[in-house]
Amino acid sequence: MSRKFMRSLCVLVSLALGGMSLPMGVAHAAWVGTPAVLADQQVQFDRERLLSALARGEVQEQLKALGVDPAQAAERVAALTPEEIQALNARMAEMPAGGIDALGAVVFIFLVLLVTDILGFTNIFPFVNSR
Amino acid sequence: MLRRLIIRLARAAGGSFLLLALLAGCASAPQTRQLLDSPPARLPARVEILAAPFFPQEDYQCGPAALATVLSHSGVPVHPDALAPQVFIPERQGSLQLELIAATRRHGRVPYVLAPRLEDVLREVSAGNPVLVLQNLALNWYPRWHYAVIVGFDVSDGSLVMRSGRRQRHVVDLSVFERTWARGGRWALVILPPDRVPVTAEPLPFLRSAASFEQLGQLATARVAYRTAVAHWPDDTIAWMALGNAAYALQDASEAERAYRRALDLSPDYAPALNNLAQLLADQGRTDEALPLARKAVALDATREAYRDTLETLRKSLGSTENLAKTPGSPKNK
Repeated sequence: MSRKFMRSLCVLVSLALGGMSLPMGVAHAAWVGTPAVLADQQVQFDRERLLSALARGEVQEQLKALGVDPAQAAERVAALTPEEIQALNARMAEMPAGGIDALGAVVFIFLVLLVTDILGFTNIFPFVNSR
Repeated sequence: MLRRLIIRLARAAGGSFLLLALLAGCASAPQTRQLLDSPPARLPARVEILAAPFFPQEDYQCGPAALATVLSHSGVPVHPDALAPQVFIPERQGSLQLELIAATRRHGRVPYVLAPRLEDVLREVSAGNPVLVLQNLALNWYPRWHYAVIVGFDVSDGSLVMRSGRRQRHVVDLSVFERTWARGGRWALVILPPDRVPVTAEPLPFLRSAASFEQLGQLATARVAYRTAVAHWPDDTIAWMALGNAAYALQDASEAERAYRRALDLSPDYAPALNNLAQLLADQGRTDEALPLARKAVALDATREAYRDTLETLRKSLGSTENLAKTPGSPKNK
């Protein structure tokens, strides 16, 4: 391969790469791209799913039976950071999905992890202050 | 000696009885039972996609063969031999799920991973969409991974029809399938052209799959998928937002503006749409229209740097045009 050819190839490649990063001339830093939009949405979706699981009567009863104030638990969920929501979601994804409905899994994870955190057995969620 | 042997045999028998009990416990098929006990009304009793193509697989080549079946059925005529270099890893004698997904995108098809519900799998099949599944044909501690394609089912006798390995019409018990499928993580994939939505699809995962085309630089494909999404879920703010972004990136200002405005009709306080619409209007020199939108975005969420930047830039450009207007009238100020 001639040097000339290589050089023109390099120019072409760099043009193509440059073009890829600025494909459309809208390179606004102040623009909210779709990946960020979808990530935000996922967090909101997961949080709402947790809160709706918490609002269920049988869950509230279970929490009360464990000595946890349901209203306080809901406050804690509302105060979770996006990273904490994501961590919880990742744990949910590891659950065997068969047989248990999604809500059941949420309740299960929630009770096991959050409640044990509150009781001080585990310390998975930094938002739970173990005294 | 004999007594010892008998004791040993008894122990072994007891052990294996325990093992059998454990296996039976592991090997239950709860979704099948539920499905057959009370079949959902929306599910037809019997379906078979006769037109789904078949590629008898070579040794360990079930990934390329299964992918070729679903790709060809979706309108991309492709042979497993052409796919093998893209998805087959010789050292592993198999393919990874992520590679099947990536290869699907490379052929301009939208991959959608189903919710891990048997009913969803059957609903897709009854909608005419063959479903690619991952099975573990052996045991958890001795896995034998296998990809196959479900092309039919019969609820009345609880059976599935699959394109699997060298068998074109492999009929299996639903419960047997569920066990092998559960050991494979209940992974099921539907692939469709970007102008179609799987019948069991939810908006957010569908949009996420469509958005991956943007990262590959295939903006036009992403836009088609977003247009499909807004037609399918017309009340989904996020779908309109994604369409607006893709149209904007493709420099189709009129479609982008319409999409952002639709998102704001649905959710007037959706700050990302306010911000991006403000940007779009600013690009066109419509600063007066852009400013209130940018102000509202910052008022809704002042922590976002992007919103503050947008407002700042707008104010600056407004300031500079005001200065320009003043300059000719007051040259002495220099």
